[in-house]
Amino acid sequence: MEKLNIRDIPRRKFIGLGLKGGVLVAATPALMTQLVSCRGKAPGLDMDKETLSKVIARALARGGDYADVYIENRISRQIIMEESKFRSGLYGISQGAGVRVIAGNQTGYAYTDEITPEKLMRAAEVASYVAQGGGAHTPADLTSAKRESFVTVQKPLADIADEKRIEVIERANDAALSYDPRIKMAMVDYYDQVRSRVIATSEGVYLRDELPLLFFIVQAMSDDGNARHMARERLSYHSGFEMFEKVTPEQVAENAAREAIAMLSAEASPAGIMDVVMQNGWGGVLVHEAVGHPLEADNIAKGIGAFTGKVGKKVASDLFTMVDDGTIPNFRGTINFDDEGTQARKNVLIENGVLLGYMTDVLSAKQLGMERTGNGRRESFRYLPIPRMTNTYIEKGESDPADILASTRKGIYVQSLSGGSVNPVTGVFNFTCREAYLIENGKKTKPVRGATLIGSCMDVISNIDAVGNDLDFGPGICGKGQSAEVTAGQPTVRIRGINVGGSRA
Amino acid sequence: MNYKDLSEKLVQKCLRSGADAAEVYIETGRRLSVRILNSEVDTIQEAATAGVGIRVIVDNRLGFCHCNDFSSKALDDTINMAIAFAKLTSPDEFNILPSEEGMAEVNGLYDPSIIDVPMQQKIDMAKELESLALKDPRVSKSSGSGFGEGETEIFIANSNGLSKSYKSSACSVSVSVVAEKGDQKNTGGESCSRRYFNDLLPLTEIAAAASRKAYELIDPVMVKTQRASVVFDPDVARSLFGGVIQALNGDMVNQGASFLGNSLNEKFASELLTIYDDGTIERGMASRPFDGEGVPTSKRLLVEKGVARGFIYNSSAAARAGTISTGNASRGGFTSLPGISTHSVYLEPGKYLPNEIIAATDKGLLLKGVTGYGIDPVSGNFSGGATGFWIEKGEIKHPVKGLTIAGSASEILNGIDMMGNDIDMQRTFAAPTFRVREMQIGGI
Repeated sequence: MEKLNIRDIPRRKFIGLGLKGGVLVAATPALMTQLVSCRGKAPGLDMDKETLSKVIARALARGGDYADVYIENRISRQIIMEESKFRSGLYGISQGAGVRVIAGNQTGYAYTDEITPEKLMRAAEVASYVAQGGGAHTPADLTSAKRESFVTVQKPLADIADEKRIEVIERANDAALSYDPRIKMAMVDYYDQVRSRVIATSEGVYLRDELPLLFFIVQAMSDDGNARHMARERLSYHSGFEMFEKVTPEQVAENAAREAIAMLSAEASPAGIMDVVMQNGWGGVLVHEAVGHPLEADNIAKGIGAFTGKVGKKVASDLFTMVDDGTIPNFRGTINFDDEGTQARKNVLIENGVLLGYMTDVLSAKQLGMERTGNGRRESFRYLPIPRMTNTYIEKGESDPADILASTRKGIYVQSLSGGSVNPVTGVFNFTCREAYLIENGKKTKPVRGATLIGSCMDVISNIDAVGNDLDFGPGICGKGQSAEVTAGQPTVRIRGINVGGSRA
Repeated sequence: MNYKDLSEKLVQKCLRSGADAAEVYIETGRRLSVRILNSEVDTIQEAATAGVGIRVIVDNRLGFCHCNDFSSKALDDTINMAIAFAKLTSPDEFNILPSEEGMAEVNGLYDPSIIDVPMQQKIDMAKELESLALKDPRVSKSSGSGFGEGETEIFIANSNGLSKSYKSSACSVSVSVVAEKGDQKNTGGESCSRRYFNDLLPLTEIAAAASRKAYELIDPVMVKTQRASVVFDPDVARSLFGGVIQALNGDMVNQGASFLGNSLNEKFASELLTIYDDGTIERGMASRPFDGEGVPTSKRLLVEKGVARGFIYNSSAAARAGTISTGNASRGGFTSLPGISTHSVYLEPGKYLPNEIIAATDKGLLLKGVTGYGIDPVSGNFSGGATGFWIEKGEIKHPVKGLTIAGSASEILNGIDMMGNDIDMQRTFAAPTFRVREMQIGGI
């Protein structure tokens, strides 16, 4: 069983803190010209409909119910400042195409990083292996489809001078280091990409678009000689450079530095069953893992998911409404249309505790006889599309967050989580707290370190007994054999009786 | 395409285009994966890919670009881009490329016969594995089985005259099943990865392990929050020692971000703990003749009887620390600069049979599964979710689920008081069963 997980920053940061080396990557006017020329010359994206039709016809020549072609071009750059030096960076061009055939419950997939008619025909032939013996299926003619866009760009990344990119990194670094002398190191990770995709399907859909993405991470390490804490804060949108006007680099850095200092005085977390108040925002990863993954329809179609056969049934507390919405303007998880061409939409998954539906892709929707919900996503052309979340959140309630805290006599206040994982079959999850406090007599008191939250999804959503009116979101990276950009969100909530792991009784 | 020639030519092209030093890393490969569900093919995926990562140094400044388009126009653009980046970077005297000659002698990295095994045989193997795992009446459902294979060839050339390549293969089978009883569900999975097709374990053995993991934790009983011994199964050793290995990473040590940064040649763990890193094990899944920037690999002692004996470095981190590379440069493919990581990690086994360790435990947890991030390499804290069996008076009493375990690295690592002798050297992270005298366990 594939472990499903979520994290707030790329895995590399956990294992290496570092690509060693130092590059300041960013486009000078000279580089910009090359960038544009690289983009302009991506011939794969211009593959004509006639050729694509032939590839799809080839894919279905031996039979099969459905075929599609996915062509992708991704230009990415990353600049990392560590210890006040521009230490490393990447500039990458990645392109390729994949051909998929679905025949009954079976899927064939082949991809190539050379986007030529010959290579695509070869991929189609390999992918059609699963459809042996059937009669040829005639695909529909390709027509450009209309899809609504939810991503607006005011300051395109391509028009931004390098100095601007460098400036936001330096501003964040300075703000983190000047916050407190006990901040000994800051790391700033700037990433941007433009992903262009072409989708053509045997149902006649032809789509082409381009999505920009920014991901900005500031980590601050505090050290007072006794304790050490690595804190972080992230900012990510499908957006132009105007992102840094809405939230400044200083704000991102100061939030990281504040956490780093606050956690220096942390004591060991207590262990045992207790009430947990989770602050609004990224804490939504708990339901992303605990409820979101089990509601992805692939395991439901296999009949093994934790929520199999529960549509229309009461699965959670009355206060609990959960939504996955790929259309929130410019959000990190927003997709316009999914990687199979289905229009993104707002899907209410659980309403007042009652399960309304699952998140599907083309295959699982067909298997379950359900609608396509616009959740068929893929990391790149190297992966098959599978059901994935987009922007997933607990809908806001009516309680004042201050009252939720004040009415909790004893427990743990979770301000931020690093990430966690879930087994989608059993629904058992775990989360690691990065910043957490004791609750004593309705007040947030001492910070605690090393707290883990564990439990089962069914229990946690039944035990939510207070939902605040302060919905907020945070960006993350969701892993399910392949990664996806998501946001998770929630208002302040209280969950009764979670098992908290800590190192003292 | 002759990639060895190409890598050398691209190095020269970088130098002509204005680089003082350059490195070209090319990775080519093919892969196949078959997934089976309920005796039917679920997915078949196949691909062949290639890509290049180019590192250049200009006036001590470093630039890096990657590209998977091998047309000469795209390669020229990539080189120019890398050089243009480098000119914008802050200079750093530790931006160096290695010049170490030769390769470690590592046998058995490539099995040319995997590709010759007929597709149908691979499909049938995965089907058989699934049906074997479903045979046990306590197992109710399959969540899939699979066969996977891959071949990779790496070419590295740099302007210090280094030019090396090697080819490797891998194949694997895996299965995951579900055991159910009333409302209870539990999953169990097992996989086997080998360099050679004929080295794969018998399917019956893999299937039995998956079935057992699925049903053995049915009917758990909750225990009270308490301090008790924890016996770590070999399956969960990485959760504890993974953080120790990360804390020995030279980059983290250089940045003052490791809880072991000031512990070289000092005792930080029990005398029973000795850890090796070895890139040269014959047919080893993590073996390679040279690391991600061409430095020969070797066998190294990292921890000796609880004393930290060495950090792990790539060339740049080593230069900054005033030492030489330990051959631990790692690449996340052609798209990234060299990082730092271990090859095969293994512990020196002790003298006890696993059963003897359990028999010697008055009260405690036999830990079979851990969730969470393990030991935090920065702060040294450990906290996670736990499943396994409860031990009382030297005997296994019942399964336990939904527990937590936590502690500081120092408390846990110094608390190791029994080391088993049951090491499986085929694992890339190999440890025997061992016991930590006492940890905080969270229950009801």
